[in-house]
Amino acid sequence: MIDVRVAVCVALLVLGTGLHATIAAPLDDAAEKYRPYMIEGIGQALAGARDLRDRVAANDLPGAKKAWISARAGWERSEVFTAGFVPELDAQIDAWPNADSGFHAIEARLFGAGRTDAGKDTDALVEHLDNLHGKLRDMALTPQGLLDGIVRLAYEVGESKADGGESRISGTSLDDMRNNVAGIDFAYRTIFSTALTTGDAKLADGVAARIERLKVIVAAHDLPSIDVSELRRVSEELVILLQSASIKLGLQRATLEAKSQ
Amino acid sequence: MIMRRSWIATLALGVLLAGPHGRVVAFPVDGDQTTLPPRTELNEDALDKPREVFRSELAGGKSYMISLGNLAFSSPRILGGVARQANVSCGTCHVNGAGNAKLFMPKMSTRPGNFDTTGPLFNPKADNLVLDPIRIPSLRGARYLAPYGFDGRMPSLHDFVHNVIVNEFAGPEPSPVIVDAIVAYIQDIDFLPNPSLGPGGRLAGKISESERRGEALFKKPFPHDASLSCAGCHTPSGVFSDHQQHDVGSGGLFRTPTLRNADFNAPYFHDGRFDSYDQVVAHFDRVFDLGLSTQDRQDLVAYLTAVGDGVQPYEHDGAGASLKEINDFTTVLGTAIPAGDKDIVSLAVDTIGSELRELTEQYPDRKNTSVSGGEQERVQARNALKELVLSLRRMRRCTR
Repeated sequence: MIDVRVAVCVALLVLGTGLHATIAAPLDDAAEKYRPYMIEGIGQALAGARDLRDRVAANDLPGAKKAWISARAGWERSEVFTAGFVPELDAQIDAWPNADSGFHAIEARLFGAGRTDAGKDTDALVEHLDNLHGKLRDMALTPQGLLDGIVRLAYEVGESKADGGESRISGTSLDDMRNNVAGIDFAYRTIFSTALTTGDAKLADGVAARIERLKVIVAAHDLPSIDVSELRRVSEELVILLQSASIKLGLQRATLEAKSQ
Repeated sequence: MIMRRSWIATLALGVLLAGPHGRVVAFPVDGDQTTLPPRTELNEDALDKPREVFRSELAGGKSYMISLGNLAFSSPRILGGVARQANVSCGTCHVNGAGNAKLFMPKMSTRPGNFDTTGPLFNPKADNLVLDPIRIPSLRGARYLAPYGFDGRMPSLHDFVHNVIVNEFAGPEPSPVIVDAIVAYIQDIDFLPNPSLGPGGRLAGKISESERRGEALFKKPFPHDASLSCAGCHTPSGVFSDHQQHDVGSGGLFRTPTLRNADFNAPYFHDGRFDSYDQVVAHFDRVFDLGLSTQDRQDLVAYLTAVGDGVQPYEHDGAGASLKEINDFTTVLGTAIPAGDKDIVSLAVDTIGSELRELTEQYPDRKNTSVSGGEQERVQARNALKELVLSLRRMRRCTR
């Protein structure tokens, strides 16, 4: 009996290694397909931030708020890679919750205090996003790093929003969540979906079903209409399935925290 | 059982990783622009928590029902949709089974520490259209304090708990075992010990002259009606309550509250109108024309303070306290999983997972630029706690 088990394990190991060899190269290619989306997302954030800087300089509060929301959308779609690949810029651009610079410091100024004296912060935001945008073309994109990013963001989407969520002052936390889920959806479909369907169709179906469910949940009319318990359940189930998928894809088990640099 | 042991080991790892960090301030239920009055909270986690003394722990350990009751008491899931969304549980108002003098709920409170149980927010159908909040009572010693409710309208604690869940907070009809468990939990919360109280509720040990005079005044008949005295209703030989309703000039008939541990139960009176014993004593002096001198009032306050004291009323609400509670909650799984009780497993997974997610926020990530140092440790702690949340979710999937 033991011999049989050992044989099965060895067979699985061999199969696993083979799978790794066959999947790794297509995944690298697929990760490249994600690059234009990444550039477009940060491009939108940068364009929004430049507009925001101009509106702030012109003392145009309604225009500045609109530009902030637009910049924010591009940023939130990009969170799949920001925390893992550019942690320092991520902390400068999106410091939270006690932000003294970045999106949320500007949010507090515009939406909380109703003021536009945020020139220094908007200048810095444009500079940081510009810096990031410039790096994207040559940044090494690893499938492992992108899968880790998807998993971390999937977990974060399930956080309690009882405190009003990340962008509570502007009341746009639900937009954040929608853009996060859109970012997860696109990155998964572009990079991993085909390979996982080949490797384990049932697991791929499970992942796709959870992402679809998340999209339905965050399509809610407003934050209070979201079933928080279900959101958390689906978020955690997606993370669990993606952790299983890591192995099937020949990658290491996706981690929940970016390693400190 | 093996599962439970491995859980405890993993949680112990969490304890090792624990360290002092501030928590994120939670947000009120009433929209994005709500401003709370100064020095109030709508977040039990921000407080230094009242210490909870369990009768069963003194006798050897908590039963399954007490731990399940504690868990349900901490779970928004047993209440209605608004409460669930706002992450409000029984424990939000009754922090660790005591009260919450800092709680202020928009549309439901007129001052910190009171709450309108017939207000519009949680169950509009039960709204009596009057803003008539009542003081959030401590539940310490509740098993001695029947009947229940500020007006003593309910003889049964079971009925009272059921009413809170279904009517005040619009929760779904709870299973009988959940109500029984919450009752078992509440009945297990003891008064904090008070070494100054001797047999018959008399002051004992080192007593000041002022306290001694206050004790005598407390028992002395009122000058204009010798059938009345403070001690006549706040019976020292009992629990400093006669369990009856009285009109003491505060706008109706209200049940006599206990004075045990009352130092930590402000604000006072049914609607929480008074902040201090000084104000309470002044009220009785005025309404019953007691003719108290300044010294008399001071003596009565000294006496009340001695009677209302308790050993170590608060404890630091750090990661250690959270993990101890979470650990108690996991013992529920140790019984519910082998019994195949899917509803309880689901409730426990949900509640423990939420607590673990909250605990994770005690270890700010890199994006919290106001915190520096210990980054590696914070990452490890966050990672360990998140993995625990996922382990629980896997358990839940296995027991479906």
